[in-house]
Parts: sequence; structure tokens; C-alpha cells
Amino acid sequence: MSNLAIRWPANQAELPKAAFHREDLFQREIERIFLGPEWHPVAHRAELPKPGDFKTFRLGTAPIIAIHGEDGKIRVFFNSCTHRGTQLQTQARGHAKEVECPYHRWLFNTCGDLLAAPGSESFPESFRKQDYNLRELRSSDYYGVIFVTASPAAPALEDYLGELKPLFAKVLGDSRLTLLGYQKVMFSSNWKEYNDNEGYHAPLLHRAFRLLKWQAGKGTQRATEYGHVGLDAELQSVPNSDFLNDPSLVQCRDGTAPKSVIIALFPLATVLKHIDVINIRLVIPHSVDETEVHYAYFAHQDDDSAMLRHRLRQSSNLLGPSGFVSLEDGAVFNRIHQGSMTPGNVRYQKGIGAPIAPPCIVGQNDESANPLRWEYYRKVMEIERERL
Amino acid sequence: MNGSNVPAAVDALQSRYISSLDRRDFDAWLGCFDEQGSYICISRENEEQSLPLAIMMDDSRERLKDRVSYITQVWAGTFEDYWTRHFVQRLECTPNGADSYLVVSNFTVFYTSARGGSEILVAGCYADQVIVGADGTAKFRAKKAVLDTTTTPRYLVYPV
Ligand code: FES
Ligand SMILES: [Fe+2]
Repeated sequence: MSNLAIRWPANQAELPKAAFHREDLFQREIERIFLGPEWHPVAHRAELPKPGDFKTFRLGTAPIIAIHGEDGKIRVFFNSCTHRGTQLQTQARGHAKEVECPYHRWLFNTCGDLLAAPGSESFPESFRKQDYNLRELRSSDYYGVIFVTASPAAPALEDYLGELKPLFAKVLGDSRLTLLGYQKVMFSSNWKEYNDNEGYHAPLLHRAFRLLKWQAGKGTQRATEYGHVGLDAELQSVPNSDFLNDPSLVQCRDGTAPKSVIIALFPLATVLKHIDVINIRLVIPHSVDETEVHYAYFAHQDDDSAMLRHRLRQSSNLLGPSGFVSLEDGAVFNRIHQGSMTPGNVRYQKGIGAPIAPPCIVGQNDESANPLRWEYYRKVMEIERERL
Repeated sequence: MNGSNVPAAVDALQSRYISSLDRRDFDAWLGCFDEQGSYICISRENEEQSLPLAIMMDDSRERLKDRVSYITQVWAGTFEDYWTRHFVQRLECTPNGADSYLVVSNFTVFYTSARGGSEILVAGCYADQVIVGADGTAKFRAKKAVLDTTTTPRYLVYPV
């Protein structure tokens, strides 16, 4: 593939702002990243618990559908009829015994097999029904999170998750979850601005932490060779919850020490637990400057009614697009997008020292994992750096 | 109060409510709820699938007051501001026990960003419980904004 004509600085801690605005990069990201050999979460099992349940989503810009088959297996397909490409399901979630395309009424079962095609007696002799089953994507699940890849070249999922594997149990427990619901929002930003968040900003941007005199406790942040970043940190209990008339918003009631565990996967998804909020964030990169984020929240199947209520109340108000400690993130994504329509490079500073290579541990309140993620991005995209 | 005056009292409350939001007078917004009042803003997608998660869940006086401090103290100065215009149309007003009425209304909220353009922020319907006192003033006991707009075009700072 020919090199893109973008000047990528020689210094690893620098990034060209044009990376957030170039249409040609976006096209290549769809090919190389979203339809390339990366794994992308599309759902948690708890979102489609019964045979016949389905959920639609996007892999990059391509519509996909996860279907819980009558045989108990969850498969992911392109949400596109194998005849002429009509989108098969239009709802975000639903339940159906079969999948019927409305255009010429081709009928598929929940395992993706083509059952019937009206008028097939006058199809060419070469037509074989089994060649027109729904186009299935390679999928694999980990702690109930269903991942897909459009590429046979992706490594085994567990190798891909690497050093972050132990964090899944810390977020999802035994993975027996129930769905509480969604918050969905559009950011006027590039998907790479959305995923370029770090630990440096948290106590500074989010005034809630200062007003509560609330600091993160001990923790570890790791960067992996596939561009993922994982944080596992204790949270001090809140000293000044007087600021809130309802301090239950920041109280931990699940019997464990309050923690923040964040699995920030390349390219875009986040699986996290913060106090008692269990949250999976999935992202659709619509265009170079439109990014849609779905926040799915979960409870545990063993929660009693008081715990369920607590999780619901905390999940609704704490960490989403309008959350007490998170609303400002969205503002920054959008503001970086505007501010990046200026020439030149940005340079990461906090925690940046001699060049390091993943897998490695980085400072919890640093931005030193960001250049490592960008370095992985640059390699996947086959963009060369300028020479020193 | 005389039942024939109830719709007028309810409409006066709705007008106070939307004008307090559009003027960003959050004390006046708080004053639209009675002491047991609650405010929920939820997507229709969740509501229809019996998924209880909300976008804002202020189910007590304490949380309503906290909502005001989120806006005025916590987030102030960080977010991209926008100006709203709420339009409300009452569809139903049904008695529901002593002094209590179930009120259903459609709404549309326009927003204008600092860049100057105006667009629709959300559309949806309110399902409210309103208490009309003997003196003829109405307050919300429970206000639920159900957003048809499942994916909002920007993050919501202010209640709807
Ligand atoms: S496009 Fe689906 S049946 Fe023809
Ligand atoms: Fe943040």
C-alpha cells in the first residue's frame, strides 16, 4: 500500500493534529482497523440472553447483527441480505424466530442458514442455497463479551487481550450479568480523540473530584503490544461527600473495596467498573468528525433488589455522557476536534521519558500510554515517521 | 380546587418549568417540584424494552438539588454551552386521586450552539404526576421525560 502523504513527526511523543481530520486516513482506518485483523467487542451476552434475541451494531461503518441462535450459540453476521444486500434488521435490539428479508422474502434461520428463496426454480442452475447463508464474522467471547473480527489474520482473542485478561474478572465477575439499559450519544469528534483519554486529566478536568476531595488510591496502568491500556486502581472512599445531598452516588455497596478498573481496548471499546457501575462502551466511527458512543450498563444476576436499585441509580447519574464525573470528557473530545483544525503537532508531556515499548507499566496519572497506542496505530496504518 | 381550573393550573406549571430551563433559573426549576418530587429523563428505547436505566435519575429532593450543583458548580466552565427553547403541548390530564393528576404532553427542544446554528436537541413526551393544591398552585410530584431521540446529537447538560 502506498504511503499516505501525511507528515508524521519523528519524535514518538508527537502527533500531527491532521490525524483527526484527514478523510483519507478515515478510509484507511475502516479497511485496516475496523475490517482488519483487530478484535472488536459488539455486545455482552446479557444483551441477548435468549435464543432468537438479536442486537444490531456497526463494525466501523458496516452494519452487523449478533443473533442468539436456536442452537444456543451467538453468531455475528453482516446485517445485509446475501441476495442484493438489503439491511436485514433495523431495530437496535429485538427477538425473531427467523430473519426474513423484506425485498424478495429470502428467509434465514437464527443460525444464518438460507431456508428459502422465492422463485428459485428460475435461478441459474449454478445457484446453490448453501452459498447464500448469511455472511458470518469470526467471533469469540471472553467473560461474556462477544468480539468479532472481519479478518482471518487476527490472533487468537486471548493473545490479543494479553496482559489485560485478568482485569475482565475484576470488571465482570463471573460474567453472569443482566442488562440495565443504554445511554447513547453523538460526539462531534474523531474516534481517535474519543479514545485518547488518559489519567493525567482526571483530577484536573473533572471538578467533582476536587469538590469531593476525592483522589485515586494505589493503582497500576499497563500498555500492551496491541495498543490496549488497562488501569486497576483503588479508590479512596470519599472524604467530603457533604458536597452531595445524596452521597450514595459515590458509595460502594457491593461488599468489595471501591475500585476503578478500566480496560481501554484498541481501537475503541471500553469495559470498565467504577465503584458499583459496570459499563461497556461501544463506539461507531461514523465519519472523520462524528463518533457515536453506546454506554451499556449491567447489574449482576445475584444482586438483591437494594443492590440492583443502587447500581441503577449510580449508573444513571455517574459515568455516562451526562454523568457527574464524566460529562466534561465529551466536551473535551469535541473541543480537541475544533482545536485540532490548526496546523502542527501536539506533544504529550506527562510521564514522558526515554522511549519505552509495550507491554509495560506506565504511571497511573500520566499520558505516556497515549504515544504507545499511537505507535501501534501508526504501524497498523503503515504510516512512516519523518526521519530525524 | 375547582376541577375546571385544573388544566389552567397545569399549563401554568408547564410554562414555569420550561421557562425556568430556557432562562437557566435552576432555583425556579427546583421550585416546580414538590418536596417528594422526582425527575427522570430516559430514552424511549430503554422505556419500551423495560430497561430502567435513565440519562438523569433524580428520584429524590436530594438528587434534584445535586443536579443543580452539577450544572452550576461541577461542570461550569468546561462544557460547550447551548441555549434551549422548549415547546410543550398538553395531550391528557386525568384525575388520579386527591389533588393528583396524570399529565401527558409532547415536547420538542431546540438548541442553539455558540457557533450560532439552531437544531432539534430532543423530541419526546412527558408523563407527569402533578399535585394541584387548594390554593390553585400546581407542582410536579413526578416528572418523566421520555426521549424519542435515542442517540442525542450532543451530550445533555441541562434537564429537559
Ligand atoms: S435483497 Fe434480500 S431477498 Fe432480495
Ligand atoms: Fe475523564
